[in-house]
Amino acid sequence: MQNHEADGELDSLTKSLPNPDFDDWAKFPDEDDDDIMHLNSSLHAEVEAEADQSHKVPFEPLSSLATEYQSGSTILLEKIKVLSQQYVAIRRTRGDGNCFYRSFMFSYLEHILESQDQAEVDRIKANVEQCRKTLQSLGYAEFTFEDFFALFLEQLETVLQGNETSMSHDELLSRSRDQSISDYGEFVTSGEIRKRSEFFEPFVLGLTNGTVEQFCKSSVEPMGEESDHVHITALSDALGVPIRVVYLDRSSCDSGGVSVNHHDFVPVGGDNPNASGSSETVRPFITLLYRPGHYDILYPM
Amino acid sequence: MELNHLVLQASRARLFKELKEVQREKVADPDIQLSCDDNNIFKWTALIKGPSETPFEGGVFQLAFAIPEQYPLQPPQVRFLTKIFHPNVHFKTGEICLDILKNAWSPAWTLQSVCRAIIALMAHPEPDSPLNCDSGNLLRSGDVRGYQSMARMYTRLAAMPKKG
Repeated sequence: MQNHEADGELDSLTKSLPNPDFDDWAKFPDEDDDDIMHLNSSLHAEVEAEADQSHKVPFEPLSSLATEYQSGSTILLEKIKVLSQQYVAIRRTRGDGNCFYRSFMFSYLEHILESQDQAEVDRIKANVEQCRKTLQSLGYAEFTFEDFFALFLEQLETVLQGNETSMSHDELLSRSRDQSISDYGEFVTSGEIRKRSEFFEPFVLGLTNGTVEQFCKSSVEPMGEESDHVHITALSDALGVPIRVVYLDRSSCDSGGVSVNHHDFVPVGGDNPNASGSSETVRPFITLLYRPGHYDILYPM
Repeated sequence: MELNHLVLQASRARLFKELKEVQREKVADPDIQLSCDDNNIFKWTALIKGPSETPFEGGVFQLAFAIPEQYPLQPPQVRFLTKIFHPNVHFKTGEICLDILKNAWSPAWTLQSVCRAIIALMAHPEPDSPLNCDSGNLLRSGDVRGYQSMARMYTRLAAMPKKG
C-alpha cells in the first residue's frame, strides 16, 4: 500500500536520518508521568465499559419522571403534573452530550415508521441533498461526510414498510445505539450554521468569543458538545423539520400559577410545507423535553 | 456483533478513501507525507517537516498513527516517533496533547488535516496545558530563548540528517 513513487525531499531526508539513540524512549528517563498515564488508561477503560452498556432508549410512563423528583423541588413536581395532562410517556436518551441529536433522529425515524409518510420522506431527501451541496461548497471533503449521509438515507428507506429491508420498531431501537446517526446531525447543523453565518453570528457571539467557523469546529462538530438554541434552529431549518422543546426547570412565573414553557422551532424557508407562515398552525411531531444539560423525547396524548 | 462488523467495515472503507486522497494530494502538501502500513490499513506513519521560523525548522518528524476500529467516530491515536522538545508532546512516549485528538474530535477531520493541526501546534505551543513540564515552564516563565535552544538542540539531534 505504500506509495513507491519517487518523492523527492522527504524520502531522501529520512534515509539519512539518525536512528539509534532516539528510537529508544527509555534512554530519556522521566519517571513521574507513569502513574498519570496509567491512571488515565484505567479511567478510559471505565468510561468505555459504561459506554458499552450503550445507548438504550427506554420508554417509560411520565409518572416515572415524578418519581425521580419525589423528594425534590415542589415547583418541578407541579410542572410534571401539568406535563402529565398533555404527555403520556417519556423516552430517555443516554446523557453523553449527543442526546439532542440522538433524540431528534430517533424521534424523526420513529415518526416516519409510524406515519409511513412518503411525501415527508421525499421532502426531507431533497433537504438532505441540499445539505450535501452546502458542505461541499464549504470545502468539506466529500468522503468525510458521505457515509453519514448514506446511513441516514438508508435508515429512512428501511423505516418505510414495503421495502425488502423494512425495519421493525425493535430494530430501530437497537440501531439507534449507533453513534453515526447523531454525527449526521452534527454535520448538517454545522453546514447550516456556516452557510448562514451572517444570520447566526449574533447568536454565536453570545456563546463564545470566536468566529462562527471556530464555533462550529469547537462546539458543533465534536461529539458530546451540548446543543443550544443555535444548534436546534440550524438543524430544524436545514432539514425543514419543526421541533418542540419543552423546558422543565425550576423557574416559576410571578402570578403564582405553574405553567410549563415550550418553544417551537419552526423552519424558515418558503416552499416548505412544514413551515407555514404562522407558527400556531404547525404542531411539531417531534417533542423533546429539556432539563438543563439533557434532552429526552416526550410523547403527547 | 453485527454492528461491530459494520463499524469495522465503515472504518476500513473510510481509510481506503483517505489513502486514495493522500496519494492524489501528495503534490499539494509538500510538508506532509502520509503512508499506510503495507499489511494493515489501521497503521499509518507520517513524516512532517518542522515549520519554518520555529526551532523545528529543517527537521523531519515521524508520527505513528494507530487507528481505532471506531474511526472516524473516534480519533486516531497519534504520537511522535521522533524525539521532540515541545510543551504539548510527552518527552518519553511522544504522546500529543491536542484537543482535536480528544474531546474536540469530529469525523470532519482526516489523517491529513490532523497532520496539519500537529504542524500548527509545533508552531504555536500551548504552555498552559503541558505534557512536557520542563518545556512548558520555560515558556511560561518567559524564557523563550531557553525554550528555543533546547527545542533546536533536540531537532538537530533527532530530526536532522547527521552531517558528514
